[in-house]
This record gives sequence, C-alpha cells and structure tokens, in this order.
Amino acid sequence: MSDKPKVKVATVWLGGCSGCHMSFLDLDERLVELVKLVDITASPITDVKEIPNVDVGIVEGAVCNDENEHVLRTLRARCKVLIALGDCAITGNIPALRNQFKLEDVVARGFVETESTQVGDIPTAPVVPTLLKRVRPIQEFVKVDAHIPGCPPDADTIWYVLTELLAGRMPKWTEKNLSYD
Amino acid sequence: MIAPKKITLTIDGHKCEGQDGQTILQIAQANGISIPTLCYLKHLSPWGGCRMCIVQIAGSPKVVPACSTPAPDGKEIITNNETLQKLRRSTLELLFSERNHICPFCVMNKGDCELQQQGYRHGIDAISIPYLYPAWPVDVSGKYLALDHNRCILCTRCVRTCEEMEGTHTLDVSNRGAKNRVVVDLGATFGTSDSCTSCGACVAACPTGALFDKAAAFRGKLGTCQTVRTTCTECPVGCGLLVYTKENRIVEVFGDFDSPVNQGHLCVRGRYETWAEPRRRILQPLVRNHGKLEPATWDEALKVVRQAAKKAKPAQKALLVSPRLSNETVATLKKFERIGMFVARNEAALCANNDRSPDAMAKLHDADAIIVLGAQPSRAQGVVAAKIRTTVRVRKAKLLIFHTRKSDLDPYATICANVVSLERKFWGRVADALRDAKRPVLIYGPEAMTPIGVSVLERLVKIFEAKTAGPAPALIALPTSPNSLTLAAGGIEPIEEVGPWLDAKPLKFLHIVASDEPDGGDRLLDERYVWALLEEIDCVLVQAAYRSRLTDLAKVVLPATIWCEKKGAITNFEGRELPLQAILPPRGEARQDGEILEAILK
Repeated sequence: MSDKPKVKVATVWLGGCSGCHMSFLDLDERLVELVKLVDITASPITDVKEIPNVDVGIVEGAVCNDENEHVLRTLRARCKVLIALGDCAITGNIPALRNQFKLEDVVARGFVETESTQVGDIPTAPVVPTLLKRVRPIQEFVKVDAHIPGCPPDADTIWYVLTELLAGRMPKWTEKNLSYD
Repeated sequence: MIAPKKITLTIDGHKCEGQDGQTILQIAQANGISIPTLCYLKHLSPWGGCRMCIVQIAGSPKVVPACSTPAPDGKEIITNNETLQKLRRSTLELLFSERNHICPFCVMNKGDCELQQQGYRHGIDAISIPYLYPAWPVDVSGKYLALDHNRCILCTRCVRTCEEMEGTHTLDVSNRGAKNRVVVDLGATFGTSDSCTSCGACVAACPTGALFDKAAAFRGKLGTCQTVRTTCTECPVGCGLLVYTKENRIVEVFGDFDSPVNQGHLCVRGRYETWAEPRRRILQPLVRNHGKLEPATWDEALKVVRQAAKKAKPAQKALLVSPRLSNETVATLKKFERIGMFVARNEAALCANNDRSPDAMAKLHDADAIIVLGAQPSRAQGVVAAKIRTTVRVRKAKLLIFHTRKSDLDPYATICANVVSLERKFWGRVADALRDAKRPVLIYGPEAMTPIGVSVLERLVKIFEAKTAGPAPALIALPTSPNSLTLAAGGIEPIEEVGPWLDAKPLKFLHIVASDEPDGGDRLLDERYVWALLEEIDCVLVQAAYRSRLTDLAKVVLPATIWCEKKGAITNFEGRELPLQAILPPRGEARQDGEILEAILK
C-alpha cells in the first residue's frame, strides 16, 4: 500500500436505471486496482444516510424530482470534482421522454391507467418526493466537471476517465472513445 | 465545347487543383481533405444549410460553407482551426438541443447516424445549452416508411431527394423558426399522401433516424451487416441493389449508387415489395393426394411428375414460363418440346423486335423532349418514371404522352393525348412542341404495337421527317416483363393470351414455371376460360416461390428460389447483362429454376 492518502469517492443514483452503476461494477478485477487508490464512501449499495465530504462525486441519472435535486446539490457542495455518469445525467435520456407530456397525464398513466391497475391512486404522502415538471440533466442544476456519455458507458470508458482524473488529467473525447448508446 | 478553366488553390497548406465552377468541398474531397458535412449529398444540389462545412478564405473575415461556395482561384482555404471547431461545435450543440436526439432508442442507432458521428468527431461529451424537449409527432401511417420529427435536423436531404431523384416533390418544409418541419403533401401524412410513390429514396438520404424503413427498424446495426450487390428482377430496367443481410435474413435493401442503370435510385417494387411484404412462401414440394395438397420429398414429387409426363405424348405436353427467368435457363428451356412464355398484353411484338436501347437512362437524363407512347412507366418501371419526372421538372424537358389510359405522369406532360381520338389540328400542336427539341427521346411500350399505337408512331415519324420538329428522336423500347426480350431472343415464344395457346392442342401435362412472380402466377387465372382449361389437364405442375390460386389448383407444386437466392444474369432493356447474386441460401427446400427443369428432364 502506498502512503498517499486515498481519494474519497461517493456515487449517487438519481433518475436512472442503475445500468451505469452496473457498468461501473463491470470494471471487474480493475475494481481491486481501483480500491487501492480510492475509498468509495457512499454509493447506492451502502446504507449511508448522509453523503460525507469527498474528493470525487459520481452521479448517475437525471433530475426527476425534488429529492434528486436535493441529493445532487448536497453532493456538489461536498465534493471537489463532480462527474456525470451516463446519458441520463448528461441529456435526460429515457427519463426525459416524459417531458413531451403533461405531468398530470404522466402520473395518471403510471398510477391509474395502467392495464393491470384495478383502482388507481396517485401517491400524495409527504415522504414521496414531488416530481419536477420536467426531467432535466444535472448540468442544468450544478456545475459538472467531467461527463462520461453512454447508455450505459462502457466499463473501459469509465476506467479511462477515472484513471485520467486520478493521474491529474482531464479525459480527452474522440471518435474512438465516445458513444451515446 | 470549351474545357473548363483549371484553377489552383491551397487548402490547409496543400496545393490543390480543380476546375473553375467546382465548389471548395468538391476540390477538397478530390484531394483527400475531409471537411465535415451534414446536409450535403454528392448526388443532390448543394444546400449550404447545416453550416458544418464552414471554412475560412484567407484574407476574409467571414466563414463560408464549402459545399456551396465556388472555389476561388489562387486563394488559401483553411478548413480546420479553433474558430471553425468552436462554430461547428456550437452548431452541433444547437442541433442536439433542438429536438429529441436520444440515441439509445433510435432506429438509426446503427453507427451510421451522421449527427451522432459528427458529435463523436467533434468530441461532444455534453452540451452547454438547455435541451428543449419539444413534443413532435411521429408519422407511421406510411406502408413502408415512417417519419419521426423528433430526430429531424432539417437538412432537407429528403426534400431535395424527393424533388431531384423521384421528381414528385412530395416532401417540403413548412413553418418558421423552431416550428420549421418537414411536411408530406403540404400537411398530409405518408398514409394519406397522393403524390408519394413509396420509393424510399428519402429514407436512404436521411442522415439521422428521422426517416426510417419500418421493416428494417431495430433489426440490427447496418454496420454489422454483410452487404451484397445484386440486380432487381422486378422489371426490365434491372436496377442495382445493395442488400444488407444478417444471419441469413435481409435487414434492408437500398439502391446501388455504383449501378450505371439506376444510380442509387429505386422504385417501391425493388426497394420494399421484395422483402418488406408478407408473402406466403412455398418451402417444400407438395403433391395432391385424394384432392389435398400434401408435403412430399423432392424424390417423391419428381417421381409423380415424371410418371405423369410419361403418360402424356410429346404433343400433349407443354411448358409455360415466367418472363423473369435468368439468361442461363434458356439453354435448358430449349430442351423441352413446346414452350411458351407468358408476357403482358401486346408485348409479343416488342419481343419480336428485340430492340435494345443502349444508355437509355443517360439519354432520358439528358433529353429535352420525351415522348411516351404506349408505355406506363409510373406503374411498371418506376425508376424510368422517376427519371422522366426529374428530367421534366428539374431539367425542364417537355413531356408528350400518348396512351389509351391515364397515367401518374400525365400531370407533368406538356401534351397528354388519349390516342383513341386525335384530330388533325392536334398534330400541329405536337409538331410545335417538338420544334425546338435538340435531344428528343421516344419511349415506346407494348401498347405502341397496337394498330392505334402504330398509327401514332407513323404520325410522329412524319412530323420528325417533315423537319417541323427537331432531330430524329432516340428510340427506347420499354417492355413490361423483366427478361422477356432475352428469353424471346433465345427462342422462347412469347404468349399474350394463354387460353388460346393452351387450347391449340389438347394437353395432358402442363408445367408452369411462375418462379418468384410476386402473385405466384395468379394473374394467368384472370384470363377467361384459363381456369376451366387448367382443370381439364391431367397434371398441372406449378413451380413457384409463393402460394396463389394457381398453386392451389396444381397437382404438384415445386418450391422455387426467389430473387435474393438466384444465381445467373439477366439482360436489361438497355442490353446490359447484369449479374444476380445468391445473397441468401434457398429457404426451406427451394431449388433454382434451372436445376428443377434439369431434374424433370432426367
């Protein structure tokens, strides 16, 4: 083990399918390499209620509701470098499809009109996050330092960006490593 | 003709030569310098709308689009620097933000979306302006193609293709600003459009997933498909096809831009009907047993066929073939006693003349007056119709149509005459219309061989001889059936009316080769008495690829291969011998037509 202090990382999962986190796990044996250099303090699979102060924040998913927005702003305030992981965080992608419709119609379709629903009920409890009128990518809320496009991004692409950032360089995007799908 | 002046300019430090009148983009591309483009397509007129191909001319503060700026002699051109990069990136960001260009669920997400490629080329990982997320409709009402406005970048490649390649001008753009959109027939849908011919050229031209083939959507990335060139056998034009296949399935069919015949363009028959249409394929031999057609092995079926053939005397046997058989089958066909080929009405005389018209498509392209006599290209030879329309609309040729029936080309005609009732005064108008023609072309089809057609032809000859018109027209014979001229030249008798031919000698054994006729030879039964005549014959053997009423009444049915499984060649109306490539292995137990014929002879 090197004496260098480990880089602290936190990852969050907003409005997305968790595919980007799956792709992150696809780093496979490189994860072993990675944990030699970084400490993953919070992630969707750790039961951490409050995001601690970290060096790098990684965000999967678009901002769909007020809770997403709160988590995003908290992470931004507590990290030095913020990375948008995947197309939902960058473009809105699939979650943003609902932007073409009225919010009432979307909610009604989801909770009342689905074919399997007998008696539909739109949840109103205060613990349920309120949906935003429009789904938006994270850079429309906070400053984003690096983007990793892809749906999901390849493990190789994630590895490239992380290793570049750990080496103190910004990743360079070309025809070879860019993919929007 | 004076040779165009040579010009020299420097592009990115390279000395480049070109001709006066060429655009900066043309000279750059000829010299291997790549400038990004989106709205540009080589075979269409330049538009200069997308601003991806912007370049700088040294000494000028402005940026200009390379695709539509004539190359300035002796000047220095810069195609790539920080300013240009920044401008192109901004253009792309605006395009990405304006509509819903969401790659993961796009039909065009095949690695060949040009907007996506430009995004990659310019290193766009995220855009700096907010997305608009507009709600645009998707028109899936067309039979074969669909239009998703969410993916449209308004490059107008489809609009220009529709005007310059198909000549129908079904597509255009309406409204202004962010509401600017492509419209079909001024606001109709593809399903309700009167003018759309479903040629699918707009889909082939679309750089994004805005226009797409319904049958090809989500069937696999084109980049991972195999591509094979072959020839369309639906009509005598013989268009080049570029077929994309994956795991022994056809994914998509496009026109072959390298083909000298169609130069990338196709009609609905070649582009879609051969693969995007549900047809009932015959996959194994069928033999009638106690009144019911039942599956049999090839050996069993051939045994029944040979026995039935043996029972009949040579004079009681006949072979009736489709005019879409390949050149190679002629030799085999000649081994049979009595052979006929079913052709369109009045087509036999055209077959007898065997007039080939070398470079007919090029002549049509350059014509300044086109006379159509007794042919229906808009129905039977769509690519010829498209060529006529574009020559008339884009290159301003005159069009004179003489026919007994209405045609979709009529609205484009200077003179459109019903040849049944022509007055003397009328011919004066025809002569007037043709007076200034320098490159007249006369297309004549089967109906030109009727007495009325011949009389019109004689009047036209007189007009040209009397010098009241321009030079003599280039003649183009346009048959209806795919390979009828070649088969007839090989000695196969063309039959217009099957009934009298069948009735001429009483038959006991009739072998009908329908091959891959889309209707399975069904149209033979539309003729009076043919059904009754066929029912009287002991053994009717039908060799076909698709089920029809004809195969349903046969005693034996043998499965034939279809266009994408055939090997050999056909000779088109221009006299070009064009290869047929076996793209896929025969489906089921289907065999090549020639192979089946040889097996029966044994």
